[in-house]
Amino acid sequence: MQTILRRIIQLIFVLAGICIVTFLLVHMVPGDPARVIAGDRASPETIEAIRQRFGLDQPLWQQFMTYAGNVFAGDIGQSMRYKRPVVALIGQYIWPTLFLTGYVVCLAVPPSIALAIASARRPGSLADQLIRFIGIAGMAIPVFWLGIMMSRFFGVGLGWFPVSGYGKTFADHLHHLFLPALSTAIWMVPVLVQSLRAALIEKASADFVVAARAQGAGEREIFWRTVLPNAILPTLNLFGVLVAFLIGGTIIVETVYAVPGLGTLMVNSLLARDYQVVQGLTLMFAVTTVVVTFLVDLLSAAIDPRARV
Amino acid sequence: MKTIKKAMLAAALGLAVFSPGGAAQAESVIRIASPYPATTLDPSRSGAAGNIEVYGQLYSRLLRRNFETGELEPGLAEKWEAATDGMTYTLHLRDAKFSDGSPVTAEDVAFSLERVRSDKESALPSPLAAVESISAPDAKTVVIKMKHALAPMLANLELWNVGIVSKADVDKRGVDGAFNSVPLSSGPYMVKEWKPGEKLVLAPNPNYWRQGYPKSEASVELVEVAEPETAAAMLKTGEVDVMRGVNWAQIDDLKATDGIDMRMEPSNVIFVSLLNHGREPFSNLKARQAAAYALDNKALTQAVTSGYAKPANTPLPGSLQFHDDNYPGIVADMEKAKQLLAESGMAGKEVKIILGSGSTNQQIGLLMQAQWEAIGLKPVLVNVDTPGWWDATGKGEYDATPTWWMNEVTDPDLAVRWALCGECDSHAFNTFYNNKRVNELTEQGSREQDPAKRAAIYQEISKIATEEVSQIPLYYSPYAIAYSKRLKNLKMTPAMQWTLEETTIEQ
Repeated sequence: MQTILRRIIQLIFVLAGICIVTFLLVHMVPGDPARVIAGDRASPETIEAIRQRFGLDQPLWQQFMTYAGNVFAGDIGQSMRYKRPVVALIGQYIWPTLFLTGYVVCLAVPPSIALAIASARRPGSLADQLIRFIGIAGMAIPVFWLGIMMSRFFGVGLGWFPVSGYGKTFADHLHHLFLPALSTAIWMVPVLVQSLRAALIEKASADFVVAARAQGAGEREIFWRTVLPNAILPTLNLFGVLVAFLIGGTIIVETVYAVPGLGTLMVNSLLARDYQVVQGLTLMFAVTTVVVTFLVDLLSAAIDPRARV
Repeated sequence: MKTIKKAMLAAALGLAVFSPGGAAQAESVIRIASPYPATTLDPSRSGAAGNIEVYGQLYSRLLRRNFETGELEPGLAEKWEAATDGMTYTLHLRDAKFSDGSPVTAEDVAFSLERVRSDKESALPSPLAAVESISAPDAKTVVIKMKHALAPMLANLELWNVGIVSKADVDKRGVDGAFNSVPLSSGPYMVKEWKPGEKLVLAPNPNYWRQGYPKSEASVELVEVAEPETAAAMLKTGEVDVMRGVNWAQIDDLKATDGIDMRMEPSNVIFVSLLNHGREPFSNLKARQAAAYALDNKALTQAVTSGYAKPANTPLPGSLQFHDDNYPGIVADMEKAKQLLAESGMAGKEVKIILGSGSTNQQIGLLMQAQWEAIGLKPVLVNVDTPGWWDATGKGEYDATPTWWMNEVTDPDLAVRWALCGECDSHAFNTFYNNKRVNELTEQGSREQDPAKRAAIYQEISKIATEEVSQIPLYYSPYAIAYSKRLKNLKMTPAMQWTLEETTIEQ
């Protein structure tokens, strides 16, 4: 209970800070949303009329007070460009991103655990060397390049997968998002493997493992009940950060595979200086990050009693 | 090893869910991938490329341009009379309906034109700037009274922003409500679904006034794809039928691909380098001339566009009426450039070249930098994004920048007002070029009714601007568009309009 309360208070401060910082940042970047709305040939009078309509001619602090007031009342605003509520836009774009994130997790977690265990079982063995080498290669390949190559090979060349979009049905989603998810997973698996492998090796020689062995526990039992639960905690935290990052950070694969997700919305809105959308998205990412870390903490507490406060 | 097998098995399972073979193309859809987004469906409110392309599909105009001949023909106006002094136009409407079946009346026309002319947020009021009043004496007649005669007046009634919208609907739903999702349409298509930033889905408008059009039953999806690599892959796999904005570097590959028709379509587009006349070094005429003589735009066009574009000889689009193809313009000469720069006293000055995004801008910028360094200027490259570019050029915080623009119509009046006239709205496209003679000629040209005299006026304007280097002309660029061969009769007109209503699909 106390943890939850503390989290909520923390969340409020984080959100207030994010609000102020994003507001200042987006408004101070040079560039005028009215110009993007009206197009290249619009006259200064037209631009001024549009600025007035959205209150952009007011002093910055006044604009911020209006914005903060609205957010406090639960309204994160309206897109100046599309004249639609930010919430509706996020609602349109969030599903591909969530699906993609879930897909990446499904593709990345099982092999990560399997590879880390295989690698940590006998450090320095051929299997370990191989996994580490492939891991470094996987991390070193730019996602952008990998995405384009896979779309050329599996999409254009072999015709196994579509090279764009999201599809309509569940099976469609699986089909359309396979290459984007794989491109992301290829980068994510090595990160997880490295972390989990290091922890497994470290915990395998920990005092409590020696103690368990002295008590006569079998190797199999020691691994599953003692080593793994202890080793998985740091990786779980890392995993949480990665997932939170994925929800806003899949912009590269979204661009390469033309997936209409939140990353795309963020970049489009930034390029259009659609302030309210950028602010709304940043707020949402902040909330997501806090929520995901909270869930990870809960999960850690379930695995490890010491993590309970 | 067992675990590795397990991992491979998991990956294989992931694959097995899917059957090979691309997305089903059974239902009849024409899909167009474009990097230019549709951001508003209100024809008076934006002049951005992605919107201009859509307006023509949703809103009919009083006159229309024949897709084949390019001639003006009756549109929503069946016939019209122009007074001999050019001060009054009387247009008679045909029986036409909006997509909901309600009639298109003279009141709707007057309302639509008035929004473009006098609404504060109208993106481009200049085509109707010479209009004194618009009235609707009866349901089928529109009378336009002029402040002064305007030679291109009828052509201006065919522009992208004077499409006819429903007054009743805007009154009922308000401006935002009427245009933010499914507006009433008077054109060949109507909106089926709009997912901003993703795609706009259009369906044939059953109430379109041109009987038998659109020729195909197919719906149309305008899909936003920012990355040209992605768009090309989508075209090759059949996920889209058309790719707008093919990169020069992609042309040869797409030409060699089966089933794809890679075309260069004529446009009113010109690439130029803006120069800032508001500060040194380019406030100095000789320094501007030096910069122009140093840039060999024939070589530059070959290098950047692989010869697919045509070198420009004046700062106005070469497809405009009265343009003199034989005028030599400034012919590159490094010795002369060095000499002019020495005479100007601007040698060694820093030149801030700002570059918008995209490989073309980057390439042109690098060439400009190299050439100007060679004659003794000190060019510095700065990268910005599009809103940042408008900010910097609008405030005059730059010295030079490569960019492009297009004229909506082939009449040169609007083009001159946009790019060369110092007293019109745009500060001569943010160059702050201001030549009294050019400004006077601009007004004369729009009032003159005799084509021969107009030709002389616009050629004089071009000559002055070229010699004074208002901007450095680079090249005239065609639209590079790749089409699936299953589509017949689809193209983009120079005014950036798709001929979708003529298009059929071959199975």
